[in-house]
Amino acid sequence: MNREIFIEPVARVEGHGGIEVIIENDRVKEVKVDIFEGPRLFEQLVIGKKPEESVSITSRICAICFASHRLADIYALEKALGIKPSPKTKLLRKLVHYGEMIESHSLHYYLLALPDYFGYPDAISMINRFPDEVMGGLELKKFGNFVMETAAGRRIHGENMRIGGFGRIPTDEELDTLKMKALQLIPTIERGIQLWDQVEVPDYLEEETIFVSVWPEDGSYGFEADTIYVSTGETYPADEYKKVSNERVVQHSFAKRCRYKGKPYTVGALARILNMADRLDGLAADYFKKLYNERWHRNPHYNNIAQAIEILFCLEKMPDLIDAIKEAKYEFVEPTRLTGSGTGLVEAPRGLLIHHSEVKDGLVSYADYVIPTTQNLDDMEKYIRNAAESLLKQKVSEMELPLEMIMRAYDPCISCSVHLVKVIRK
Amino acid sequence: MGKPKVGIYGLTGCAGDQLNIINCEDELLKIFDIFEIESFVMASRAKNENVELDVAFVEGSVSTEKDLEHLMEIRKKSKILVAIGHCAVFGGVQSMFMGKEPWIERYKKVYGKENAVTLTPPLEPKPLAAYVKVDAVLPGCPIEKEPFLKLAGKLAHGIVPKVPDFPVCAECKWKENECLLLKGQLCLGPLTNSGCGAICPSMNIPCIGCWGPIAKENWESEALLLLEKGYKPDEIVKRFAIFGGTERAELLKNFLESHQKQESGK
Ligand code: SF4
Ligand code: SF4
Repeated sequence: MNREIFIEPVARVEGHGGIEVIIENDRVKEVKVDIFEGPRLFEQLVIGKKPEESVSITSRICAICFASHRLADIYALEKALGIKPSPKTKLLRKLVHYGEMIESHSLHYYLLALPDYFGYPDAISMINRFPDEVMGGLELKKFGNFVMETAAGRRIHGENMRIGGFGRIPTDEELDTLKMKALQLIPTIERGIQLWDQVEVPDYLEEETIFVSVWPEDGSYGFEADTIYVSTGETYPADEYKKVSNERVVQHSFAKRCRYKGKPYTVGALARILNMADRLDGLAADYFKKLYNERWHRNPHYNNIAQAIEILFCLEKMPDLIDAIKEAKYEFVEPTRLTGSGTGLVEAPRGLLIHHSEVKDGLVSYADYVIPTTQNLDDMEKYIRNAAESLLKQKVSEMELPLEMIMRAYDPCISCSVHLVKVIRK
Repeated sequence: MGKPKVGIYGLTGCAGDQLNIINCEDELLKIFDIFEIESFVMASRAKNENVELDVAFVEGSVSTEKDLEHLMEIRKKSKILVAIGHCAVFGGVQSMFMGKEPWIERYKKVYGKENAVTLTPPLEPKPLAAYVKVDAVLPGCPIEKEPFLKLAGKLAHGIVPKVPDFPVCAECKWKENECLLLKGQLCLGPLTNSGCGAICPSMNIPCIGCWGPIAKENWESEALLLLEKGYKPDEIVKRFAIFGGTERAELLKNFLESHQKQESGK
């Protein structure tokens, strides 16, 4: 029997993507993750602009990870312009990054991903059975946003992070409020993590893959570095990012695709936590050890719980970070040259993000951006194929949700590259 | 009267406006209570596309044939269509005025060739009003929570409000900020729609115009102010163009250039 499954749009992902699965003679013939999100051509929009304009433009690539885009752009351009930011600037940027992780992960874990596992259409419907958890998720999200408002200027597309420094430095009182709130929210996320115990993680899709993340030079677990780590054991300096990503265009997607040495790979919270597991400490390490098993290497569903553990990680690190920010020296640093090039590497909540920029006589002359979701698309297709093959016997309507859940587990930020599953039985 | 039926949709953009609706953490439950949310795919799997809507909120620019089809369907079934966010109101950064080079040339530089992606034909990004009647607008990149809640409240009572047409500078002066333009920084406050509360200048950062341009009648004299401060037309237009939308950016360019010609001819 031939069937088509087409899930359109994939709900609760940010942007427009669809999954098309074609089944012919009871075999999965083709799986395509289509990205309908229209092309916005950011790499062209920045040409001829001033570096600070590039930063404002590229943060618009994605709302939920604007701070990561902004940081990647700032890092690339600061390298190009020969700027070494002051210690306070570096630490404050880290604070914004933690804020974004908490905001984005809590939105995804509580509001977008968990409802599926408990059989609800959305988080609002889940509230009667899990009132504390859902309200806790909203609390965490609100806190992440509060960090952004305080340090990045706004919840979305704040302009406070600049090349060379900040527009406005948060006051000590504002920072202390964040510190207190972070400490208060640790039990909230612990409860959220414990919820995972009740989740049945499907096993029919499992297969090994390659994980790619940043590799902080100081040995810490972190979200920015000048080195890329591939779980097959190789490392690459930022400038050699193309050896990892190898972007290509495919016909069914406005998002480009990536492969490492011809193989699909995964980026995101799961990649980070598996690559940098030894670097975790505190409660985050305890929960990881308690929950971890070998299947994490073969199953993208675990990306959800990896995100929850990262929320805990960020909350635990915030108090010390805030003390360090208060102590650190600040200076706004001006460019030392007007021609140069640089590559900025950061971890967006959904994975490795690369901005490469070249500046000539003070204007941007070339730009290349590699976005997490484009790196994940090939692996997404692989796991959806595995699942579709295992679920062949089921009705089309019963196949859709499990396939959609795989896509959602990747937390695709499809606006920067993707909503939808279509199973076609021919 | 039952609860007003509402749909929240996204075309091509960063999803920041929908996200800022989800970001109304404290009010989210109330929103789901006051309105019958028929479709909001970014927040819920449950949806009903076969009902007439009282209000449709649409974010994003029209950037593919598919976007256009989707917009037409929404228009057909909605009494009031509200464009939310810069992309829907003005076209977004993706509709930036980049001079003479046709858009398709830029497209080819990124994707290699015109027909590299066969999924749905791409279109040069445009705001909603380029294709359909828009009943109300809420500008901002992204929209802010307070103006959205106010607008939603009015719509719930059947009132369709207009946006105020005065510049960010007014809000900036209410806040008693030191003017950055007077300090020699290229601030687009004079040319930009108010509504944000002059967030950036209040942080010592020049406005880059993300609430979109005010109407031409209101910016002519302000644009001359920037020339007086010694900025070159090219420099002003390039920055204005980021959030200026194609049409108004081109108007500004012609306006500044002809003004300069006149001046040098004197
Ligand atoms: S700082 Fe900018 S927004 Fe404020 S008054 Fe001056 S020009 Fe206007
Ligand atoms: S000050 Fe200007 S750039 Fe900043 S948020 Fe307001 S309109 Fe946007």
